[in-house]
Amino acid sequence: MFDAVINNISYLMGGYWVTIKLAFFALAGGIPLGILVGLGRISHNKWVYYPVTLYVNVIRNIPLILVIFWFYFVMPIIIGSPLDPFPSAVISFIIFEATYFGEIIRAGYQSVSKGQIEAGYSTGLTYIQTTRYILIPIALRRMLPSMITQSIVTYQDTCLAFVIGLPEFVRRATIVDTLEVRSIQLFGFVAIIFLITCYIASTISRRFEIKEQEGG
Amino acid sequence: MIQIRNMSKWYGNFQVLKDINEEIKEGQTVVVCGPSGSGKSTLLRCINALEPFQKGEIIVDGQSLTDPKTNKYEFRTEIGMVFQRFELYPHMTALQNITLAPMKVRKKSRKEAEEHAMRLLERVGIPEKAHEYPANLSGGQQQRVAIARSLAMEPKIMMFDEPTSALDPEMIKEVLEVMTGLCKGGMTMIVVTHEMGFAREVADEIIFMDEGSIIERGTDISFFQNPKSPRTKDFLDKILI
Amino acid sequence: MGLAYEFDWSVLWRNPYGMYLVQGIWVTIKMGLIGWAIALFLGVIIGTMRISPWRWLRFLGGAYVELFRNIPFLVQLFFWYYAGPMLFGASLEKSINSIIGLNYYVAIIALGMYTASRVAEHTRAGFSSISRDHYNAALSTGLNHPQMYRYVIIPYALRIIIPTLTTEFLTIFKNSSIAMTIGVLETTFMSYKIDSETFHGLESTTGACLIYLALGLAVVGLMGILESRLKIPGMIGR
Ligand SMILES: Nc1ncnc2c1ncn2[C@@H]1O[C@H](COP(=O)(O)OP(=O)(O)OP(=O)(O)O)[C@@H](O)[C@H]1O
Ligand SMILES: [Mg+2]
Repeated sequence: MFDAVINNISYLMGGYWVTIKLAFFALAGGIPLGILVGLGRISHNKWVYYPVTLYVNVIRNIPLILVIFWFYFVMPIIIGSPLDPFPSAVISFIIFEATYFGEIIRAGYQSVSKGQIEAGYSTGLTYIQTTRYILIPIALRRMLPSMITQSIVTYQDTCLAFVIGLPEFVRRATIVDTLEVRSIQLFGFVAIIFLITCYIASTISRRFEIKEQEGG
Repeated sequence: MIQIRNMSKWYGNFQVLKDINEEIKEGQTVVVCGPSGSGKSTLLRCINALEPFQKGEIIVDGQSLTDPKTNKYEFRTEIGMVFQRFELYPHMTALQNITLAPMKVRKKSRKEAEEHAMRLLERVGIPEKAHEYPANLSGGQQQRVAIARSLAMEPKIMMFDEPTSALDPEMIKEVLEVMTGLCKGGMTMIVVTHEMGFAREVADEIIFMDEGSIIERGTDISFFQNPKSPRTKDFLDKILI
Repeated sequence: MGLAYEFDWSVLWRNPYGMYLVQGIWVTIKMGLIGWAIALFLGVIIGTMRISPWRWLRFLGGAYVELFRNIPFLVQLFFWYYAGPMLFGASLEKSINSIIGLNYYVAIIALGMYTASRVAEHTRAGFSSISRDHYNAALSTGLNHPQMYRYVIIPYALRIIIPTLTTEFLTIFKNSSIAMTIGVLETTFMSYKIDSETFHGLESTTGACLIYLALGLAVVGLMGILESRLKIPGMIGR
């Protein structure tokens, strides 16, 4: 029934490990850059605001697959020598996902009402205290569910590194498939692994959403 | 006009309403109060056939709700209902909000419905807002449109579910004035409210509910001066300050 | 120092490459539009199932959404394209695989089904953001259920859903690029093809980026015109 999967399990799971590593680096770079992007998007300095806004709006209108290709072509020109697919893919993911994380952070910030901030000042808190004890905690709670959702999306997105020949999970499944021609079980297996992991993660994220509502 | 006999309602295993008995005569105004979650909104929804109940009977103007021959939709036109959050249709102007049901249910012509709606808007004091969308109206104005919308079906009974609790103090007054006017005009009303000044002025009876039961009832003076149960006293102390 | 890379932007219009891109754009647009029609049709049905009073329908709708949302679109595409024909049994498999343009049809259907799960979520969210008292308000004036949905609930829900669907409509064009992995000759595929024939992938993919940007702007512009034409009053959100 699952012969092709079982016979090649270590090869396939090796690919899954590449997928995990890709997702890890994409998030480890994408979220911090996303925070900067989010700050840029709420900045009052037009020299910051307009360039960041341009960056966000351009990237968000381009398919990820094309961003991956583009960096794959442009990196050798910038650094002067051919670049491995892995770092090239990681850079594309960071640049791409940061725009999405940035927009989540901006929305979270803007969801904090003026009244809540003024309530802070009115009790005698300083600007830094208000930011630290009121603005950031409220905004963080608001954006946590979307941040988790976007992290799940990032994890799913990493399989597009397939197109520059990176031997990640899906690429390895297709390689096994060309040898064994067991498409149903191979792609079924990949699908189930993603389904289970993403389902668990999104269930956790929904927990946070419910908590937030209860917290009023 | 309204008779409620031994009425009980459950949500699953949770009993929301416990053996409610109440009689409201034509032209009377009954004020219902009680802590949050005591079942006030559920009681109003049951009376308007918006919620089924499992035990007992509700009879409105001679029609029993448990009678399978009673048409729920016709039944509801007899009773107007006003909600805490106004619930105006955001995609329609004030006038369109009011004329929708008369045109679709009563099959009135647009002209007739609009003329009636304008008279109602005058009655609630905002004829100049007829063509505004709800988003451009203040809370008090929205609630007055909502009242006009209910009146447009010429109901025999009006029910209000905390109509002023989402409003600022100055708007509360304008809405209560409209309600007092209705009451003086002889409308039969059930009002869930914690505005005790209003209750004192217009209520023929005040009911206090707690955990799904009516635990106290009285005409105004007796109710405020010597509540029988400690729960009622606690509650009154809180809301009367 | 960079490699001595000589730019040649003429690959964007030179014969036959300019034509490649034009063909690619046309395929991207077709996939987006047809996929959108499928997504809208399926998605609204499934989203409505998820808020229906019947438990089984709610369960089925929920299962559909979870299934399609938690598997990367690339994997779905490969499954339908490579494994799909096998599901019909050996005898039918051959004839299915011999259909000309199978990859194109599979990509459109897969894109439609995937996007439907997202449309369903927006639909469900739109309806469930309407408070229960809003339904009660309509019923309490004596409207019957069909009238309540027709005049009050659906127009209201549409005003909440339409803006989110506009974003989704933009997304479907972007997602259609993934169809290149099964050889559908859409814009991204064509830019890649130009690279393999000229080794000027940087120029061709930059060109493709500009095409997607222009497409996005065109869609936003069209939606703007549509919205102002319809002049939907009481529109919620800007
Ligand atoms: N659809 C429902 N399913 C299950 N329980 C419900 C439902 N609607 C209301 N309840 C419960 O029934 C009880 C009474 O609710 P109801 O809304 O009638 O209270 P209320 O007196 O109007 O309170 P409030 O002053 O907060 O409006 C509450 O405990 C509530 O949690
Ligand atoms: Mg209530």
